[in-house]
Amino acid sequence: MSIVAKETIEVIAQSIGINNLSDDAALSLAPDVEYRMREIMQEAIQCMRHSRRTILTTDDVDGALNLRNVEPVYGFTSGGPLQFKRAIGHRDLFYIDDRDVDLKEVIEAPLPKAPLDTGVACHWLAIEGVQPAIPENAPVGVIAAPSNGNTHEQKDELPVDIRLPVKHVLSRELQLYFDKITELTLRKSDSALFKEALVSLATDSGLHPLVPYFTFFVADEVSRGLNDYSLLFALMRIVWSLLQNPHIHIEPYLHQLMPSVVTCLVSKKLGNRIADNHWELRDFTAKLVALICKRFGHVYNTLQTRLTKTLLNALLDPKRALTQHYGAIQGLAALGPNVVRLLILPNLEPYLRLLEPELLLEKQKNEMKRYEAWRVYGALLRAAGQGIYERLKIFPPLPSPPGHTIWKSKEKVVTAVPNKRKASMEPLEDEPALKKIATDGPIGSLALVTTLAPSGQNDAGQPSSSEKKTANRVGKDGQTLKKSAILNQIWKDDLNSGHTLVTLLELLGEGILSFIPSPEMSLFL
Amino acid sequence: MENMQAVNNFVAAYLKKKGFKEAEQLLEDLQNKDSAPIDFHNDPELAKFIHHFSQSEDDVARYQDGYSKLRSWTYSSLDLYKHELLRVLYPVFIHSFMDMVAKGHLQEARTFFNNFREDHELMHSRDLQKLEGVLSQSHLEEMEFARSLRQSKVNIKICQYSYDLLLQYLHKTQSTAMLGVINEHINFQVSSGQPSSISDDAEVVTLIGSCQDTANQINQKEIHWGLLEDSLEERLEKAGGLLSDSEKTEEENKEGDGDETKKRSVESGKQGASTKKLKKEKALNATAKSARPEASTTPAAPRVKAKLPLPLMSTEVEQSILEDLRNRVQLSSVLLPSVSFYTFLNTHNGLNCSSISHDGSLVAGGFSDSSLKVWDMAKLGQQGGSSILQAENDSTSSEHVVGPNGGKRSYTLFQGHSGPVHSATFSPLGDFILSSSADTTIRLWSTKLNANLVCYKGHNYPVWDVQFSPVGHYFASASHDRTARIWSMDRIQPLRIMAGHLSDVDCVQWHANCNYIATGSSDKTVRLWDVQNGECVRIFIGHRSMILSLAMSPDGRYMASGDEDGMIMMWDISSGRCITPLMGHSSCVWTVAFSCEGSLLASGSADCTVKLWDVTTSAKVPRNEEKSGNPNRLRLLKTLATKSTPVYSVQFSRRNLLFAAGALSKNL
Repeated sequence: MSIVAKETIEVIAQSIGINNLSDDAALSLAPDVEYRMREIMQEAIQCMRHSRRTILTTDDVDGALNLRNVEPVYGFTSGGPLQFKRAIGHRDLFYIDDRDVDLKEVIEAPLPKAPLDTGVACHWLAIEGVQPAIPENAPVGVIAAPSNGNTHEQKDELPVDIRLPVKHVLSRELQLYFDKITELTLRKSDSALFKEALVSLATDSGLHPLVPYFTFFVADEVSRGLNDYSLLFALMRIVWSLLQNPHIHIEPYLHQLMPSVVTCLVSKKLGNRIADNHWELRDFTAKLVALICKRFGHVYNTLQTRLTKTLLNALLDPKRALTQHYGAIQGLAALGPNVVRLLILPNLEPYLRLLEPELLLEKQKNEMKRYEAWRVYGALLRAAGQGIYERLKIFPPLPSPPGHTIWKSKEKVVTAVPNKRKASMEPLEDEPALKKIATDGPIGSLALVTTLAPSGQNDAGQPSSSEKKTANRVGKDGQTLKKSAILNQIWKDDLNSGHTLVTLLELLGEGILSFIPSPEMSLFL
Repeated sequence: MENMQAVNNFVAAYLKKKGFKEAEQLLEDLQNKDSAPIDFHNDPELAKFIHHFSQSEDDVARYQDGYSKLRSWTYSSLDLYKHELLRVLYPVFIHSFMDMVAKGHLQEARTFFNNFREDHELMHSRDLQKLEGVLSQSHLEEMEFARSLRQSKVNIKICQYSYDLLLQYLHKTQSTAMLGVINEHINFQVSSGQPSSISDDAEVVTLIGSCQDTANQINQKEIHWGLLEDSLEERLEKAGGLLSDSEKTEEENKEGDGDETKKRSVESGKQGASTKKLKKEKALNATAKSARPEASTTPAAPRVKAKLPLPLMSTEVEQSILEDLRNRVQLSSVLLPSVSFYTFLNTHNGLNCSSISHDGSLVAGGFSDSSLKVWDMAKLGQQGGSSILQAENDSTSSEHVVGPNGGKRSYTLFQGHSGPVHSATFSPLGDFILSSSADTTIRLWSTKLNANLVCYKGHNYPVWDVQFSPVGHYFASASHDRTARIWSMDRIQPLRIMAGHLSDVDCVQWHANCNYIATGSSDKTVRLWDVQNGECVRIFIGHRSMILSLAMSPDGRYMASGDEDGMIMMWDISSGRCITPLMGHSSCVWTVAFSCEGSLLASGSADCTVKLWDVTTSAKVPRNEEKSGNPNRLRLLKTLATKSTPVYSVQFSRRNLLFAAGALSKNL
């Protein structure tokens, strides 16, 4: 009935040499032992409180025993966790694993390192009620510091009688920091110091109060400094760093940042010198845009739609400059393959028609213009290629045929390859015949082996001329019913992709081929 | 004959169960022919009788049954009266349990206890822990807590209707066991009218030794909570804030002080003889208080004469204090203090207490290895390069002690105690430190000489707390031996012993006018004692767990106390009532402190925060609106989180800079 069992009393009695303890005695001792134990714990808690602790230690128990003039229990003050072990043969009997220590060893052991001496450090926990963001303070204080107008501090408390107008107070240090950063951006954006500044912007925890100032600074400078390429790049880098900083909530300022960022992406002219590599800036900004969409797209669901609309408008407007088209393509491409597939690919054909005259030497005499046109073409190619690459990659891995088929077919395939290669040499230029193309790389023959389609073809004994036939064939020869159902779906998707690929090939020529992973290429072409 | 008796009992029980009252009475009459007739029409008497009767019957299951029925009835009672009736459950519960134990039904008692303890866990967990250990009759007698529970009655305020409901229920269900318990151990204070609101259920079952009436009686005593006459603040106000005109003030002081100080110095020499004089003074107090016209410069706070002979103060010290007072920042809810935090590093879980001198230049830590270490922050600041301290106190004397290993220590080590140091306190001028230890002694150290001056022996058990009086020279101590004692620095025997708490006295604090001390105890009460005659003049009841910290407002009207659960209570000293509990901390409140003009309260807790509370609003509330009112008058202004550092002490300097200290502990 009490926590202390009768058996425990008996065991303890035996351990101190009383062998003939009567049952009755043990029974009446048990509750008393429990009572004494509780009493001691009670006083131990008292000792714990007066040692300003919330965790009970063996010292407290010793203190409590001391209060009652009881000798303390020795051997428990080492602080290490005690190991209780169950006595063999007894269900509820535990003992402490207390190993014998060789005294000689202890004496001869080198002295342990002296623990560090106690010291006192002093810092400001708060200055006129505001916690400074210094490493000594808990990081929660940073977020709680007053920010854009609505102070967090009053949110979770009782209603305040008088609400004073909240002033946005910037500490002297932060002001200095801001001045330094802006000066660096404007004057010495190529210095090593600026790189340090970017790192600081991306990692420091106390910067949140400065975010509105930085956004304003960026917007202001972008609108004024469209001719200054290096400044624009520096500004975009700052935005990038701010986005990286985990201690900053930048969402409320996105609406101020986005126009400047998009400007740097699709502006007609960035920088005033020919030497300015504004393509690089556009590439970087495209990445920035993609990052923003990825991070905040789920919070602001209109963000991406609005962005793509802007970019698509820029792309489809033939009056816009080619540089703008380039930016728009890069921006869309950075948003991911789905965007490319849905927005760029359908418009590819009309756009290329538009672009074609610009590309040709005879039609476009202006060297600069032609160069730009080729840049745009390259971007387009890359976007389309990447789109289709991602598309192909997300297919479920092709169901590999049973092992023996592979091995069986391997020989055949290998033998078949040379023929195929020969055959494929010609139709390479010839578009309709491209379907049978194998590969243009040396690894092609190996990759071929693992694909399903050739094995199917080989089983059939004769190379089929169309994808569809192969599909049917495979379905028929088909391994299991279940597989065939899945395969049908896959084939359907594949066919779509295949068609897209073919159109792409038609439009862009073999430049696209380098974007197609070899196995898939062998499948479709 | 015994057989006969048993049969009679059985019949009686049967009749009672069936409700045959008349037959039962007849039988009883028959049985008690020679005993005195009993008045059956008086309800309590009847109940008592039946109670005794049931005792003889020894039917323990009835407790269990009766209690569970009473409980379910209470829970399903009308919402309006429910909380009043719920209050009845706890005393019934613990007394039923103890009854069962007393009758030797230990097994049943244990199951009963475990079945229903959850209901009361929230409010009375510590008491339940204590009671849980009671396993035999002898424990009941031995355990003081249980004994006093058995001896005293619990007072419960209840409205007429709730009372009627309860009686009706008890009669209807014939649950005699419950009726017996209620009659024996609960004293209902039936009030007509509406049931009391839930918010003021301060009627926690707290033991105060004697019955509630004496507590009330004690709380009726007059208290002169005003500030001391002729205090420095008053003089400053008199000087009319002439900041530049320090010479004038000095002269004034000299003139004003001349005679009085002389007289006092004589008095302090012959303590015993002076008591007569003091009594006279005390008698004068009342008249002085009323006769004295309220000066316009001192709002509301009346002035009282000191009952203790006060120590002398040198003019230089006075000047520096006056200077501080002039430069004091006026704090309010919109102007929060700056907080300087002292973090103890590498304490290896050994720091028991910390203390900060009034100017913040010295920080002391008491350790469980019996040592007391004092850091001179002015020096530390020099080393660190930035001195943020307003150390106007020249503390040039204490030299860095060269440690045994030859390396320089950053602190002064005071060794002398032979047990963990539980408390340390600086004298107002920072030239002395007192430390109290588990070795039952209090030691006085000089920070100028870096030496132990006196060892005060008197307590018989560990001394948990020691506090210098606001004027220095006197100090108070609190101990595990359930007493608080008043000492003066020049005597090794205590001057007064305050006895009355039912458990350890855990903390002690002086009233601003030095005529009273307050003590907080593990018996969950705070008591206020008259220093002059050693009598208890107030009992503050309302805390639900052990009291850990106390603070007195500088105007002497209010007191704040923090407990183990994280609750802080503001008390009106003159009425003895709780103004409002301040909730916010989630763990032990180790320390509380008022700002110098009393507008803010700072509290430090084991939950690693310093919280600032606005207490001006409450002070402005007219006193006739005593309780009731909206409970949100005192509000939390700011929570300052530390970096995993439980806050051991907070202290406002005379210029209203807040100092806080704590030990960095990783394993929280």
